[in-house]
Amino acid sequence: MTDPSAPRYPGYDVLAKRHTPSWNAITRKVIDHRLAVPREPRFFTPSEWTTADAVCQRIIPQPADRPPVPLAALLDAKLLANVGDGFREGDMPYMREAWRQGLAAIDAESAAQQGRVFAALDTAEQDALLGMMQRGELSGPYWNGMGAQNFFAQRILTDIPGLYYSHPTAWSEMGFGGPASPRGYMRMALGRRDPWEAAEAKPGSEARALRDNRHVV
Amino acid sequence: MQTVARYRPSPALPPIHHSPPARAAARPAVRATPAAMPVPGDIATVRAARRLNRAAGMIATSVLTDSAMEHYRGEFHNRAMWTPIVTAALSLAVSVHGHTDRRTGAHRGRDLVYAAAGLTGLIGTGFHLYNITKKPGGLCWQNLFYAAPIGAPAALSLSGLMGFLSERVRANRPGSSPIVCGFSAGRAVAALTSASLLGTVSEAGLLHFRGAYHNPFMVLPVSLPLVAAALLANAATGKSRVRRRLTRWWLRATALMGFGGVAFHAYGVSRSMGGWRNWRQNAFNGPPLPAPPSFSGLALAGLAALGLLEDHPDD
Repeated sequence: MTDPSAPRYPGYDVLAKRHTPSWNAITRKVIDHRLAVPREPRFFTPSEWTTADAVCQRIIPQPADRPPVPLAALLDAKLLANVGDGFREGDMPYMREAWRQGLAAIDAESAAQQGRVFAALDTAEQDALLGMMQRGELSGPYWNGMGAQNFFAQRILTDIPGLYYSHPTAWSEMGFGGPASPRGYMRMALGRRDPWEAAEAKPGSEARALRDNRHVV
Repeated sequence: MQTVARYRPSPALPPIHHSPPARAAARPAVRATPAAMPVPGDIATVRAARRLNRAAGMIATSVLTDSAMEHYRGEFHNRAMWTPIVTAALSLAVSVHGHTDRRTGAHRGRDLVYAAAGLTGLIGTGFHLYNITKKPGGLCWQNLFYAAPIGAPAALSLSGLMGFLSERVRANRPGSSPIVCGFSAGRAVAALTSASLLGTVSEAGLLHFRGAYHNPFMVLPVSLPLVAAALLANAATGKSRVRRRLTRWWLRATALMGFGGVAFHAYGVSRSMGGWRNWRQNAFNGPPLPAPPSFSGLALAGLAALGLLEDHPDD
């Protein structure tokens, strides 16, 4: 039995590809921009930021032994840029509005139930509140007609994981090589690994994966 | 010259075969049997045999590089994928040995390696055919284009064949009319080279068709060698007392085309995204750099056949 907390791609760092043919100037520019996202609210108010940050930490808890993916900052940047999906359900407001309303409603529900804002709850209480939202058990007046369940499914569960997996830290974690351009793949068959692809540690092959991952460039 | 004349035995004598121990044993007798002694000056059969060694070596170089690259790409997931690398390297080594060897008589070690190369090519064709048929769709055009290349292992057989022919030519006693497997050596080599060219043309045709002949020069390897094969077939069956200048020049052009093909393929690699800077992908995904010199090797064999026909007219 393998240790589930052991890294699946030991020693793999997608950023080591920065100056290899795997990345070009555009890739470097986009990734640099993403890595340099300001860690302060630009779209959110300070209290919205605090709530959003607390929600992000419960949706995708991150290990303590590495710098976290700055989810609140990425969310703030996404909302500031206001590039949406291009579609939404009829009872859902536009992306920016949905987040403002949703975060306000979460704090209001939390205050009504526990007497504290969401960020001040302990993790079990936060999870309980998010669980109620997910199951459609919140329908207080704070939601302004937006379905709490829809907000959970269509904004929280769509935006936060999407932002998490847009970050190179998450790429290294899941063995993703970044953009498949300008360099593509040499070994086209299923299950074959190119020298510049992350090596997955299978039971018994951890040391080999670690060695291979040091040369993934 | 006088010496050569003195050595001319009757064609009915059996072929010479020497291996290091056999040579050592024969050493005291060398002076008594002049046929086994190195003859001063240039012996036509040895010259032709060395040409064929060079042809075999050229094809082996192409196969060695091509199979090493393509099988590396296939991650050597089957251990048998090392076989062509070993046998092609050996074939190249004994070809170099044959090129430097000015003695008459077949060499057992070279014969063994060339036979192994020929056999490996045949078995490899079987493996590649198996790879094609086990893919969804089985033996269909799609798999012929994208699965293991059906024609590639045959090139190793051709290296072995040219080496085998070289040894058979060399086994003839100097001064006699060289015979290969009961046929006039020149005609046999010309006929087999002609057939080999046709096989190689069909492989280039298949893969260049896959490449949609997007560059007009892609037509060259399916036209030039085709004419060369026809000219060689004509030489194999026609009169031997004619100077075949067109055939000679056409074969030289085919040999040049083989080297030019490497340049064209290198250009093809450079056209892929990232170009040569991204060689670790593009050299493998692009047109195969080492493949075209197979044509050069066969053209060299064709030239050796012409030399044999001119040195030893049989009609």
